[in-house]
Amino acid sequence: MLRGSFSSAREAFGKTLTKLGEDDKNIIVITADVGDSSRASYFKEKHPDRYFNVGISEQDMVNFAAGLATVGKKPVVVDFAMFAMRAWEQIRNTIARMNVNVKIMVTHSGYSDSGDGSSHQALEDIALMRVLPNMTVVVPADAAEVERSLPEVLKLQGPLYYRIGRDYSPPITSSMDYNFQIGKATVLREGDDIAIMGAGVLLWDALKAAEELEKMGISAAVINVSTIKPIDEQAIEYYARKTGRIVTVEEHSIYGGIGSAISEVVVKKYPVPMRFLGATGYGRSARSQRDLLDYFGLTPKSIESLVLELIR
Amino acid sequence: MGERDGIPISIDELNKMKAIAERARKNVIKMQFYDQSVHVGSSLSSIDILTVLLFRYIRDSQDKINKDWLILSKGHAAPALYSVLHEKGLIKEDELWKIQSIDGLLQGHPEIFIPGVDMSTGSLGQGLSFGIGVATGIKMAGGSGRVFVMMGDGEQDEGEIWEAMTHAIARKLDNLIAFIEINGYQLDDSTSNVKPKEFLEEVWRAVGWRTFSCDGHDILSIINAVEEAQKAKKPAVIFAKTLRGKGFTPIENSKKQRATPDVTREFLFSS
Repeated sequence: MLRGSFSSAREAFGKTLTKLGEDDKNIIVITADVGDSSRASYFKEKHPDRYFNVGISEQDMVNFAAGLATVGKKPVVVDFAMFAMRAWEQIRNTIARMNVNVKIMVTHSGYSDSGDGSSHQALEDIALMRVLPNMTVVVPADAAEVERSLPEVLKLQGPLYYRIGRDYSPPITSSMDYNFQIGKATVLREGDDIAIMGAGVLLWDALKAAEELEKMGISAAVINVSTIKPIDEQAIEYYARKTGRIVTVEEHSIYGGIGSAISEVVVKKYPVPMRFLGATGYGRSARSQRDLLDYFGLTPKSIESLVLELIR
Repeated sequence: MGERDGIPISIDELNKMKAIAERARKNVIKMQFYDQSVHVGSSLSSIDILTVLLFRYIRDSQDKINKDWLILSKGHAAPALYSVLHEKGLIKEDELWKIQSIDGLLQGHPEIFIPGVDMSTGSLGQGLSFGIGVATGIKMAGGSGRVFVMMGDGEQDEGEIWEAMTHAIARKLDNLIAFIEINGYQLDDSTSNVKPKEFLEEVWRAVGWRTFSCDGHDILSIINAVEEAQKAKKPAVIFAKTLRGKGFTPIENSKKQRATPDVTREFLFSS
């Protein structure tokens, strides 16, 4: 935790997917003209006969993938998170309703497409995906967890939404040694007074905040809830009971996202006071993802304030 | 290729198919007694084409790449599909009368848990893309399966149709045959009042499809079109002229989907 260097989530994604394609000849990669930007095109270099760029046609891409899955292929749909949402109804009515084995793997989620501005920044996709029956939702924390989780999620039979950013990937799990399991949260840091839970790049901010809080004598646990659905109810309940307070962090709207998913478990199993850190509106352009996180207050400082609000 | 592909149809077979379509047609009309919301008009428009496909061309099998696929993209014609599947022996008669009921199998739109249904549909414009996926998968695996996709003319308003129409050409598929029924009506109004569609055939041809046309209520005409379409060596589309409510005079060639039980009863007794 917090050891290791910054790396790129999409680079890890493109390389790992390409490697997995060597062993599993059923994997087919489909993109809507964002092969280079998403690094899906690495797969094309090695496996050109199993790579389709359908053009800027997201709806067609989704149903095309469903058809391929129905005759036994393992299609991986790769798109920007935002534009995959253009085909939400196709995902809902064909992929999820027919429960077919299509993996929807998106890059450029959250604020990661910083320069392009609010049209390209997906802050609503987790909510839209986790509401769907049959859909599994996974948000890896960093590039290292992409490498660790990708082989596992591709073993799953059924629809899956897999969400990564672009190049900003601070080290969160890179120094850790664990097996990624769908539906299993991992402990990044133990603590007794508060549990900070979430997924994605903001877990780095959570770990930074925990270090500062320690100096104030507050012991904060940090939990990586990388599977949003099915969520690890057991881990959430355990830390609710242990610490009595929870702050959630996400690079996504706080309405319907990871914090909401965690709170659904908390109110059912063991209600404790909670605070939610995440987006509440649209993004904007910036020169870097970090600039946006700072601008919208998704920082270690904000996490510390929410923790102190609950403890005082 | 199906067993009977390319074999001229005998008078016997022709009469048999006509009788099947007539029985299926009557059963769709009868469904109105049991459920007052089924899409009778749209179903009667599709019934002859579905009969020809299911009784002459579609080879069913557990082997996904060597069977033929029937995708009812205009899912609201589900009653027609169910009635023809009943004639095939795949759906029991009492299920036809339980359509859309809480304890019935048959849903308002096709679902893959219903025997004989290859894709869950209902939201328009999605069947062709799915069909392209199936047809591509079959070709990658070296299978002999063919894919038939049934669409409506109103459905052509959907943007995904354009995405799929252009995609099929890029995939160079020769195992994909689409039907577009031209019955001239969509939900609210006649298609010409909503959005003119006379240009459709020209557009599909310009994009690279082989286009054919037929009388969608004439069994021989449908068969001839399918035979020709199979020789196309590229994606083929058949524009089938049909009538909404064909054979049920109280609603024939109108935007009406159904008639009252009294009118229906009178029609069935007198026919």
